[in-house]
Parts: sequence; structure tokens; C-alpha cells
Amino acid sequence: MKKIGLTTTVPIEVLLAAGYEPIDLNNVFITSEDYSKYIDIAEKEGFPKSMCAWIKGIYGACIDNGIKKIVGVMEGDCSNTKALIEVFRLRGINIYPFSFPHSHKKEDIEIEIKKFMNIFNVSYEDIEKVRLRLNKVRELSKEIDRLSYIDNKVSGFENHLYQVSLSDFNGNVDKFERDLKRVISDIKKREPKNMKLRLGFIGVPPMTADIYDYVEKFDASIVYNEVQREFAFPRASKALNIYEQYYDYTYPYDIEFRIAELKRQISERKLDGIIHYTQAFCYRAAEDIILKAKLDIPILNIEGDKLNKLDARTKLRLEAFLDMLLDLKE
Amino acid sequence: MKILGIDLGSREVKVLVMENNNIVKKMKVSTISFYRDYCTFDGKITVDLDKLNIDKVDKAVSTGYGKNNTDLNMFIPINEIKAHAYGAIYQTGLKNFILLDVGGQDVKIVKIEKGLITDLELNDKCAASCGRYLENMANVLEVSIDKMSEYYKNPVELNSTCAVFSESELIGKIAEGVTMDRLCAGVNYSLYKRLKPMLTKFKGKKLIVAGGVANNNSIIRYLKKDYDEVISLKEPQFNGAIGCCYYGSKTIKLENIEYSEL
Repeated sequence: MKKIGLTTTVPIEVLLAAGYEPIDLNNVFITSEDYSKYIDIAEKEGFPKSMCAWIKGIYGACIDNGIKKIVGVMEGDCSNTKALIEVFRLRGINIYPFSFPHSHKKEDIEIEIKKFMNIFNVSYEDIEKVRLRLNKVRELSKEIDRLSYIDNKVSGFENHLYQVSLSDFNGNVDKFERDLKRVISDIKKREPKNMKLRLGFIGVPPMTADIYDYVEKFDASIVYNEVQREFAFPRASKALNIYEQYYDYTYPYDIEFRIAELKRQISERKLDGIIHYTQAFCYRAAEDIILKAKLDIPILNIEGDKLNKLDARTKLRLEAFLDMLLDLKE
Repeated sequence: MKILGIDLGSREVKVLVMENNNIVKKMKVSTISFYRDYCTFDGKITVDLDKLNIDKVDKAVSTGYGKNNTDLNMFIPINEIKAHAYGAIYQTGLKNFILLDVGGQDVKIVKIEKGLITDLELNDKCAASCGRYLENMANVLEVSIDKMSEYYKNPVELNSTCAVFSESELIGKIAEGVTMDRLCAGVNYSLYKRLKPMLTKFKGKKLIVAGGVANNNSIIRYLKKDYDEVISLKEPQFNGAIGCCYYGSKTIKLENIEYSEL
């Protein structure tokens, strides 16, 4: 199959219907043992030190793996992504543009998705067929999420992994479906692990995935991964068509829409506190002001940069925060 | 409900009793004297409450520098950052602030949001930004630390990073004929200058100051330039001990320890 790189979640149904194998470059970057090599490649090109590590990692992963085609998200992601796409274009990589319209109007989303369909020459019927197929797999991911926050049988890391992977279905929908089924049957056999503190992890997926195990040392578990869950489209089955599905998606649009979903999940999952992860140099750190003001729950903002392990200072901050949060539960 | 809180500092041990959330007793003992005269050691340190004139309490909580030092028999040890956070919340009723605690040997800066710690910074390797520095410099100048703290105008420039070198620098200034007022102000300002780089990461509107330095009006005056509001705690030196009691009262499971039976 023809490979096509993704910089964030896009209507993957279109790409699959067109016979492409989508590869989420974020996943390639972060799961690589040499993840820092990818950052180096970008910095040697001239990407500044003071730029988000994800952007640089995506760049390095694309170049190093010989990806020649990229879906460029021109609207709805950050302005760094826009510049990244321009550099890709300069390097001769074919760019297939897609936009999540700022207006967040259903009719505008429909226009954008139709443009995307035209680029790949696929029909509405083609993509709906793919969508219904994918929704079956999305239901499995939802089951893992339920096993996390209702049955308490899934670690925070697994919850993260089996949702974030739905941005590209690990490159093979059938195999990924089999994997999920196997994982679910294993998880169901487990004893519940009830921790005292129930945490939410909000913001972009972390560079530092060791955070999930780290918080467990303090009788806490992460039972909600905001953005990873959005990547897995938990409300896709309710959407009447692809346009509605990508309308009811909180990642690329305004913060109010996102906050409404956060509030629902905080109460549904009975969260005690939230860890708001932001990437160094990302505009999303400023959103912390709004989130802290609008969400009536303790929030700790931590920042990741180039390392894929929590630094000592962040660990100390997490420890102090969780320690006091535990006192509230006494 | 009676709760005993003990904060084992590097210079002094602060002992405080709260009954139904009100402070009913407080005392300070030098750290050496506390371990020597008020404690016995039998595998673990046991505090002799009779000697402290404290009888039955429902709960006892300790804090201070280092986990081993504060692990007293029958006490629940808590870390001192948390103790100071609780102390400041109790004393001010505020939930969002930056806390600056300048003790004898250490400086703590803690960010509190919605009543929980979200960030912290501690001094490392060097104690030149601490209360002990002010004590030493007051000794060199042969003035009381209270007197010295009154001067803030036109501070003489003291640039040494090291607290010991600062003494000779100060003596040099005395020899140059700089007035006493400016020397005292210089000492106060030099401490502020050492705190400032640590505080730059902690932007906020309200700064609460604890530890002995809260009594230094000149340093408070300098800090007021950087924050909308600077609050000196009413009991700055007992803040850690108050925090212990407040923590105890929040998490109470009545055990009613008969200390006389120990």
C-alpha cells in the first residue's frame, strides 16, 4: 500500500478508502528508541531550539523513514505545523492539505471533508463504508476505556496507548482489531486495581509516558486521557455521517467546546484532580489559565520538552500535588 | 480535639498545640536543647511531653528538615513543604498564592493553587539567602537583627555570592566610612537580591512570607515591588508547626494518645 504520513488526526476514512496506508508520524517518533535522533535531524536543518519537540520529531521521523506524502493540516492545529508543512514542501514532499475550520460550523466541515475527498477521488459511499468498519474498532477502544474508569482494570498507560493508536490504527486495521480483542479478553481476566486517587490527563499526549506509572506510586491512577480519547472518536457511532463525526471532536476547535466535554468527563469518571500536560514552547500553555478558571477541580500543569522521561523537578511537583490531594480524600 | 504540632528547624524547634482549631500553646526551644533536654532515644526519638508541659493530645504531627530527624515516636511525620502550605492556608484563609519561607538554613518557595501545591523550589547547596546570613551580618555590625531590619534606604552594594565573603565585604564598606544606615540597608537588600532569581519563576499576585524573614520590614518592602500584595504571616516562625496541627485536624482519626502512659 502507498504510505502517507500524518501530523495529527485527520479524516482517515478518506485515506483508507483511497487505498493508502496512513502513518501517524507522532507515533513513529515517540515509540522509536532513537526518538532524540529525529529531533537532531530537524535541529540540524535549522528548526530552532525554542520549538516544540513534537514538530521536530515529526520532521525527523518523516525524513528518516523516507515518507514522500504528507497530509498537511493547515487549520485547526498550531502555526508551527503550518511552517513544518512549508519546510516539507521545500524538501519535495507532496502535501495533501486538510483543514478543521475555525468556525466549527457543520457546513464548513462538510466543505473541507468534501475537498479532501476530491483530492483522493473517493465517493461519500466509499468513505461511509470505511467509517462503519472503523467504528467497530473504535467500539473496542471504547471498551478498553470503560474497563479503565468503570472496572479499574486498565493501567493509565494502556488506556493512553490503546486510544492514541487509533489515529492511524497502527497502519493495519484488521491486525489492530485482532490485537484489541486479545487485549480486552486479557484485561477482563484481571482483578480490579482500585487506587485512592482518580486522575485525568488533559492536553496533548505526553512525551513523558512514564508519568502513568509514576503517579501509581502515590496511590493514584489516570483514568481519563483527554486528547487520546478524542483521537479514538468515542462518539463516532452516534454521528450520522462523517461530517458530524469530525464536528463532534474537541481537539482542533475552540476551547469552550472542549471544556464542555471535559466537564462531562470529570463528573462521569469521578475525577479527584487533573494533570494538564503542555509541551514546552506550545501556545496551549496559555490555555492553562482558562482551564484553571473554568474547571472546578485541582489542576497541575506540567511541561515536557525533549526528554521522554519525567525530570526530577516535575516528579517532585507531582509528588507534592498528589500528596495534598490524598489528604483531601482522608 | 487537641493536636500537637512540632516543627524541627535547623536553629529552633517550634512546638504548638491547637485545640478545636485554635492555637492554645506555642513555644520555641533551641534545636540542640530540644534533642538533649526534651527527648529520649530508644531506637526512635521519643518526645517527653511532661517536660514540655503538654498533657494528653488526640494527635501529634511532626515536620522539619529530613525524614529521619522528624520521625518521632507516636508522631505522624509530614514533609515540611506541605506543613508550610497548610500553615499558610490556615493563617490567611487564602487558596491561591505564592509562599516564600525563609528559615535559618533553607528557602522554600511554593505555589499554591486551589489549596494544593502545584510548584515548588528549594535552595540548594548554599544557605547564603537564609535567615542565618542576616544573623551573622547583624553580629558583624553589632546591631540587633530587629534594628537592622528597619533600614532600607540607599543600600550599599554588597555583591558576594558567599555569605562568608559578604562579611569581609561588609567590613571593607565599614572601613570606607559608609554610614550604619546604608550598611544595614545593604545587608537587607543583598538578601532580597539573592531571593529574587528564585522568585522570578513564581509570578503571581499574592506573596505570603513565612519564617523569621517575614519580620524584616525592609525585605518585605523590596518584595512589594514585585507583587501586588505581600502578606507577612502573623506567626511566621510557627507556620510549619501550625501547618502540622491543621493537617492533623483535617485528617483526624481520633486515637487519643495517652502520652503519660508511654
